[in-house]
Amino acid sequence: MATEQVDTDLEIPAEARDVRIIDLDFHMNPTEDQLIGYVEDDAAREKLSTEFGMLPRKAKSDAAYAIPGGNEGLFTQGKAEAAEDVKLAADKFAIDEPIVNVGLNNTPTQHNPVLKNAIVQAANDFALDQVIPEDLYCLMMVPQWDPEHAAEEIRRVGDEDGFIGAYGWFGPFALFGETRFDPMFEALVEHDLPLVLHGSLSMWPQNTPVGDNMLSWTEMLGLDWPVFAQVNVANMIMSGLFDKFPSLNVIIEEGGHWWIPFLRYRLDEFYEMHPDDIIIQPRKHEMGERRLGRKPSEYLRDNVYVTTQPMAPPERTRDTKQMLEQSMAEDTFLYSSDWPHQTLDPATWAFRNPAFDDDLSKAILHENAEDLFGI
Amino acid sequence: MSSNEYTKVTTVDDVEPERGMSVTVDGIEIALFKVDGEYHAITNRCPHQNAPLDKVGEKKINGEKCWNERRGGFTDQPAVTCPWHLWEIGLETGEHETSGKRVSVFDVKVEGDDVLVKV
Ligand code: FES
Repeated sequence: MATEQVDTDLEIPAEARDVRIIDLDFHMNPTEDQLIGYVEDDAAREKLSTEFGMLPRKAKSDAAYAIPGGNEGLFTQGKAEAAEDVKLAADKFAIDEPIVNVGLNNTPTQHNPVLKNAIVQAANDFALDQVIPEDLYCLMMVPQWDPEHAAEEIRRVGDEDGFIGAYGWFGPFALFGETRFDPMFEALVEHDLPLVLHGSLSMWPQNTPVGDNMLSWTEMLGLDWPVFAQVNVANMIMSGLFDKFPSLNVIIEEGGHWWIPFLRYRLDEFYEMHPDDIIIQPRKHEMGERRLGRKPSEYLRDNVYVTTQPMAPPERTRDTKQMLEQSMAEDTFLYSSDWPHQTLDPATWAFRNPAFDDDLSKAILHENAEDLFGI
Repeated sequence: MSSNEYTKVTTVDDVEPERGMSVTVDGIEIALFKVDGEYHAITNRCPHQNAPLDKVGEKKINGEKCWNERRGGFTDQPAVTCPWHLWEIGLETGEHETSGKRVSVFDVKVEGDDVLVKV
């Protein structure tokens, strides 16, 4: 027959149904009303319920200026308010395990810690009440701006079945190598929870010459996140964080991945030439150690992971293969879709791009996540 | 079948305006659209990352709470806006202007109630 109707909801190659796909970055957006109902603190609930709302946006620009037709970037695919919305959306892309975060990426940009802590508590209780019972894995939010409180929140909900990691943000905020974060890291290790850090909606330090001159979304989103991702990874490694907490795993979400080769060789080269200031890193000083336990690149391979969206492979297969190898992709890459944002990345490349052989695809699509999260 | 031949792919009643429809002719997957009363047919794979263009116009999950209720769309150019990342692809040229990437465009005609495409 010359013609046929194709009727399928699946939007990526059919083979994807035969492989387990774990998606590290799936955003859920309950309504403010839904969340406010979970806020326990009376004063916070009163203030968050005002017309001012829960999470006023501080950014100076928006993806909409950069998208033809002024479409929105945040809800290009839709909005998942309930667990069944998540399942429906995930199925279109053959995603078996969407690891849900209650996508409030504007939280760290807010000013008042009482209100921010209340939002985190509400988001975690919402997840426990409405998402996890529907057989979905979730990341608990961590109030990183107050590491002692973050540790308390981890101890409050971190052992709950279904929470498989903790969700925080990198950005123009305090760097995670600072020793004041240690109580939070202690609690994470105690509860066997990897720390998943996502980009925040705070683009570059604003009201500075650098921030004020970033006028294109390509620089704002395309560069801010990888820059702050690298700065944080380097800081965690060089401050001895992984010497103090060797079993800690950190996942960088949406911060890009092709910078791994750069960081890998750059940090090793510089550290080997300039190792003498390690003893005055506060954490190493406290530990009485003059050197890192290993080369920077070894922590990068063993303690740090990156999510893949957008994969953005080079045109030529051999270039992609080389990039994957230099990035230690088989050990460091975790698939993420970023549903429902415009930067969505369905895993088509795993099935159509010859640079991804079976073993590598399996590692990225599910094996690395299985090992990391025990799922 | 000669390449000059048109193949019936559907009937006019089955083509929903401002939506996409996928049809396959001789193994080639084609997206068929009816925009402002005109029929258009192009390869059903976006030149960016292979999104199925026939999903354009599908209602988003909770679409009524988003700026645009539906995925992707159409512009006056005329162009189809891809449901995944909103690339605009000219329906008469098959081209995405910013990247210069393009897909095939197929002739479409209507005979009676039938919609036919030439591959
Ligand atoms: S796949 Fe069409 S715009 Fe990306």
